[in-house]
This record gives sequence, C-alpha cells and structure tokens, in this order.
Amino acid sequence: MIVSSWIVAIFTFHLWNNNNVRKCLFVTLEKLGIMGSCVCKEKTTARSDTPSQTTRNNGRSATDGHLSGPQSETGRSDIESSTSSGYHGSQILVTRTASKKTVRSLVLETLSVIRTLIDNEIEPPQAMIQLHKIAETESGWLDVTKSLIQAIPMKDPLGPAVITLLLDECPLPTREAIVELRKNLGLSKTGPAAPYKECCCQRNLCVLLGCLAEKLAGPNSVVLLSQEVLEYLISNLSMSHPSVIILHSLVALEKFAQTSENKITVTKCLMSLDPNPLIVLESLWHDKDYLKREVGFCARWCLDNLFTSDGRACSYENEDLSKINVMLNCNDVSEYLKISPDGLEARCDASSFESVRCTFQVDSGVWYYEVTIVTAGVMQIGWATKDSSFLNYEGYGIGDDEFSIAYDGCRQRIWYGAHSQPHKHPCWKPGDILGLLLDVDNQTIVFALNGNRLPPEEDLFICARSGFFAAASFMSYQQCEFNFGAKPFKYPPPDFDFKCFNEYGHLSSDQKIIVPRYQKFAELRNVQVKEDSCTLCFDNQADLILEPCGHIGFCSTCALQLETCPICRQEINERREISGKPGKANSVFSIPVSAISKDSSAKGSDSLNPGGIMKDYDSDLKDRTKIKLVHSKRNVDRSETDSNMTSLSFNGAASRVPDLTVNGEVDRSKKTTIIVDNETQNAAMKDSVS
Amino acid sequence: MAAGLPRRIIKETQRLMQEPVPGIVALPDEGNARYFHVVVAGPSESPYESGTFKLELFLPEEYPMSAPKVRFMTKIYHPNIDKLGRICLDILKDKWSPALQIRTVLLSIQALLSAPNPDDPLANDVAEQWKTNESKAIQTAKQWTKTYATDN
Repeated sequence: MIVSSWIVAIFTFHLWNNNNVRKCLFVTLEKLGIMGSCVCKEKTTARSDTPSQTTRNNGRSATDGHLSGPQSETGRSDIESSTSSGYHGSQILVTRTASKKTVRSLVLETLSVIRTLIDNEIEPPQAMIQLHKIAETESGWLDVTKSLIQAIPMKDPLGPAVITLLLDECPLPTREAIVELRKNLGLSKTGPAAPYKECCCQRNLCVLLGCLAEKLAGPNSVVLLSQEVLEYLISNLSMSHPSVIILHSLVALEKFAQTSENKITVTKCLMSLDPNPLIVLESLWHDKDYLKREVGFCARWCLDNLFTSDGRACSYENEDLSKINVMLNCNDVSEYLKISPDGLEARCDASSFESVRCTFQVDSGVWYYEVTIVTAGVMQIGWATKDSSFLNYEGYGIGDDEFSIAYDGCRQRIWYGAHSQPHKHPCWKPGDILGLLLDVDNQTIVFALNGNRLPPEEDLFICARSGFFAAASFMSYQQCEFNFGAKPFKYPPPDFDFKCFNEYGHLSSDQKIIVPRYQKFAELRNVQVKEDSCTLCFDNQADLILEPCGHIGFCSTCALQLETCPICRQEINERREISGKPGKANSVFSIPVSAISKDSSAKGSDSLNPGGIMKDYDSDLKDRTKIKLVHSKRNVDRSETDSNMTSLSFNGAASRVPDLTVNGEVDRSKKTTIIVDNETQNAAMKDSVS
Repeated sequence: MAAGLPRRIIKETQRLMQEPVPGIVALPDEGNARYFHVVVAGPSESPYESGTFKLELFLPEEYPMSAPKVRFMTKIYHPNIDKLGRICLDILKDKWSPALQIRTVLLSIQALLSAPNPDDPLANDVAEQWKTNESKAIQTAKQWTKTYATDN
C-alpha cells in the first residue's frame, strides 16, 4: 500500500523543507521530553529489559535491534577477526569471500541444523551466522542467494522456510544487488537462465523472490518486479507447470502485492488474461493431491482477499455452512494466518509463527477432533486456553506457554511451556491424520497419528482446568484442515466415549462468515472513539489523576500498569479517581497538555465491541499464572466465540501498587484492596458490554 | 490477541490518515493493521536531504505498554543505524512511554537523521569514520542517500 504514499511524500516534502515547520516540531518534541537519543551504552539495562521473549523456538529472531549481539561474538570463529564491541555486532567486515562451494555447504548445514533447533536458549547455528557475515558484501549477498536457489533440496519440508529464515536476517541488499540478481536469474516467459531450469531451483527461486518482495516492500520491490519477472511468475500459473512451482509463484505474487504499485500491476495483468489463471487454479482447492490442494487454497484466498476479480462473488457467499457449527475463530487468530471460507482449513505463508483457536470452548467431559496434515513442515497442533498468547513475531505459539500443549509431527516433539519432549512417531506427511483427544475430567490428553497413539499427556492441567480450545500454530508455507465432527472421523478412538464439537457448538450465520481481510479493516477504521476516553487505550473512560505530577487522561486499567507518568516520567505515588467534572480536573492540571492529550477530543458515538484488550504488562509467565487464578471465575461467563474479555490482567501490575485509592478526593482514608478494584472493573466491563 | 484491534491503534491510524505528519508517511498494511509502511523524508540541511527512506513499523501485542518495533528498509549511512536497518534510539528501548505514539516515534527518528550521535554508535565503522573524518563521513552519507534513497 505504499504507492499512493509517494505522492503524499513529495507533497509533504516541500512542507518539510520549510525550516520553520521543522524547528517548531523539534522544539515541541524537546519540550515534551520525547526527543530520543541513542541508548547503546546502556546495553545491560536494555538486555535485561527484554526477557526470554526475544529468543524463539523456531530459530527466528526479532527485528528488534541489538539482539544479534551474542551471535556475532560467537560467530566470528574462523571467518572473521576483531570488532570493538561485540554488543553492536554485525560490524565485522568480511575480508575474504568464501567460495561458492563453501556457501552452498553452509546453506545445507543450516537446513540440517534448523530441524534440531528446539531450545530457546541456544545460539543460532554457526553456519547461519557465517552466511549472514558473507552476505554483508554485495557479491557475498549474491552468492548466498544463488546458493539458496541451487542447494535447497526439494524433499526437505523445511526447505522453503529455511530460505525465508536465512534471508530474514541477512543485511539489506542494495538496489544494484537486486538488479544484478534479476539479471543473473534471466527470467522470462520461457523460464529462468540455464543454471536454474531444474524444477527444484525454480521452486527455490520463487520462494526467494517472494521473500525479497516481502522484505523490500516499497520501491525496491517494484524494482525487483520487472516486466520479465512478472511474466515469468504469471506464466508459471498454468496447470502445465509442476504444482510446486505454481504454488510458490502464486505466493511470490501475493508478497509482491504488499507494495500497492505491484498489486495494481499484478491485478491488471491477471485481469487481462482470459481465463484468469487464478480462477482456473481455484478449482483445485479440494483436489486429492495435497500439493494441488495448496495451490487451490492460495488461488482462492488471493481472489477473495487480494486480486479481487469483478463479477466473482466472495467464496463465503457460495459456501454451504449449514452443517458447520464450530470453526477456526477468525477473531482469535494472529494477523497473517489464512482461513478458508468454511472456517476449517488454515495456512500460513508469512515468515512469522501464526496461531489460531477454534470457536468452541470445552470445560468438562471427553472431546476429540482430527486434523488432516496438508504440508509436512512445522506445525504445533493441540489444545489451548484463552490465556495462551500468540506471539507470532517472537516465534511463540501453541505449546509455548503453560496454557497450551501441542503435537509437532515434523520435529517429532510434544510442546508444553515452550519446552519439548521427543515422541516416537515417524515424521508426518501430507494426508496423515492427527487425532487429538482431551479428557478434562480425568486430566489426560492423547495424541494419535493415523490411529497410532502416544502415551497420555497431563502437563497442561498444571495451570489449566477448564476453558480449552482446539488450537494450532503454523510455520511458513504450512497448511492443515480441521475436522470438528462435521464430517465422519477417520480414526475415532473406540475405547473413549467422546463428544465432538460440532454436535454441541452453535454459530449464528453472521459468525460463520470469514470476511475478507480488507473489508474487516475498512469496518474497523470507521470506529469512533468517545471524547473522554483514556489517552492510552481509548477503551475506558479517563477518570484518574496521577499524584504527585497531576497528569490526567488515564483509566485505572492503564494507570495500574504504569510505575511512572507517561507524560513527565515522574514516579507515581498515587492514582486518584476524579469525580467526573472536567472543569475540576482541569484546575488540578498543572503541566501543559501534551500533544497526545488532544487525542481525547475526538467526537462521535462508540460502536466497537467492548473490552479492547490491555495485555498484561509483565508478560512474565509466572505472573500470568497468578492472573489466571484471580480471573478463573470469569471463565464461566465466557461464551465460546468471545475472544475479547480474555486478558484484562492488571492485577499483576497492581501488586506493585498497594495504595490505590478510590474517590480519594472525597476521602483519602478509603483505601481499597486490589480485589475490590477488580470487581469494580469487572462490573464496569459488564456495563460496557450491555 | 489479534481479536479486536485495540481502539488505541484504530485511533492513531485514523489520525495518521487525517492529519499526516509533514515529511512522514505511515500507512497501515492492508492485511495487518499492526504493521505500517513508513516513508521518512531526509531532513533538509542534513546529509540525508532529498532522500526518501523506507521503514517498517510494527506494533507488538503489548503496545502501547511496550514500544513499536521500527527498522529502516532503505540502506542508510548513519552511526546509530546498522546494516540491518536497526535503530539505536532510547525511546524505542528503555525510555519508551505509552504516551508516545507512532507519529512521535517517527519524528524522533527523523530528528536522529538531523543529529547523528557517533559517541553512542550502533554502526561502529560508521561512527569511527564520523569521529575521525566527519566531512568524509557526511560525504559518504550523502552518496548513500543519492544511491539508495533517491527514487529516480
């Protein structure tokens, strides 16, 4: 969506060149004390402030700066020499370029090691670090990309994901490097240059193009999508090509379309073809061949969400959903997961670890569902409560906290609390059926692959006793289909008297609609916010004054998560409720209103569903356990599709704030306990619901 | 949770669209309302003048209680920005305040372009150059701006 912005950029550019405007802004910023400065020297604090979340179980690392510090310290081994500060990492200059053969073997080594990366604490593999070093020069970067295309074998289910992973951490390519790469590949309607003709190379190069398009979204993505590249990818969409090439060409086009100039180009090109190749490919979505089915899924998703075609109705409009009473919850899913119009199949093509829960909650009894494995890569499929968080960018999903457990058939492990134990099943493959049985009353969970059972698991019940949902997480290019009982099960466990979701669930016809993403966001953007909203969350009424600084504009939920005033950074000693008269509040207000406070002047009615979420500030797992205990009684009220009121978790922070006063202005001695405040808050939430 | 988009984010997005910040464009991704495509104009009277720099900005689940993640996508020669485009800026780390917003963060980043701080470097070789031979460093920064940040 960048193209429309270029016009604005040029226009505003002139304004910016007006020094007065600029100085005014700088002065304002300085007054507010928010002019940033470099913090590198405070490395110890920065590190300790970012706890375990920064490492991840899938070998991904956050885009957050500084995190690669330890990598460079350990990674310099044979390839490089000194650097003055290991903390700043990545500054080591590569003085000798490894031969292409070495690069290729490093790529293969990374691929073989990635599968074994199951511990959050360990360093990224040496091979990967070395590749990132090599990619720091332009020729090195070209070598790495070339080796990725030629070395990654077709068979390894992690191959495409490893391309994504490796590129994600490589230094950014220059425009020259991109042009050079394009030239080397020699793409055209008739295929790539000779060294890349092989099917496997073509698959890898499509994956690579897609990754680059995503990574470089914006002008460089436009540079990459030359007429030749576009023609190559579009010509691959014909059924005469191997499915794997069709699939990754389609995904690459989808990623190019993240830049809106490209989106227009691609859409135009598709529309000019008769028939539109996507409409042809769409028919494959229920094909028996799983690779073709992936193609069909992606084609249909693109037609519904991205390259919409005039005269074609959205898939959900044609879907018979009368027998489906439980789906994947399109309101309880991380951003990039794609859900099919029947709400039962999901796929991830992003580089993040995408997760979803189903719409139906179980609190007692024995329950069973099945999943058809469409792709053989990393997915973590299992059970989760609403307390389980989807930290897709950090690489955490189902099985990565105390509130969820998951089966991983690729790395052959059972995940719980972000740790895993090996299991005895062989690697899963497309078409395999994973059976998941949950016996709440006897506190056991059983996973079975094609009817072959593993020993029962009990860990999940340490922290959770009820409120379970079917749930799953997906690494890049992974897909599976859920059966909650609308179709007959393949391997129903005969010795268990189980229930299936679909018999007990209910969804209104509105709830069954998987609305295309762009429509959903358009609706969201029309939401209006109340005038006296909290300036931090805009969800609740701003009714507190912070002492001693006297700043206002915050609700109790937000204020309880703060130790210092967000405006002046003064320590907060007390949070007092104001008696709702704006005049009075203003009189207390002793410091100039910040630019931010102006936000509360927006007018209009309030129409969004209630309970926008404030996540717990301490994402520390230990704290979350406490939160869970306090809020467990609320689980009873939770309807199965409600995904909003899950984590109103201010009590973790509240423990640091012993002297919360309610109506302190009237009577300072009336100090309430945290529990009372919780109840008030719950009551307030209920009010806002009704 | 990705469930409902917090009103805070909706509100900020609306305001960014209605009253854009001069010299800065921030547009939410069509598929992900927490991801913004950002273009920052190089400040005048800086080596980055007349360059347009592409950045990505992501609002984590804890936002606004934790800082947005921001990174340069355009190559830039700056002592506080490294090869991966990562930015060394206190308000993105320990000096974050929930009262800061997308727009103030981006203004701060633009200000950082006007005032490089080689004493607190993220890119050590760049900082070294900046300290030992400032005019050469500025020359390189201008050259990089021309090469990588100017749209022909």
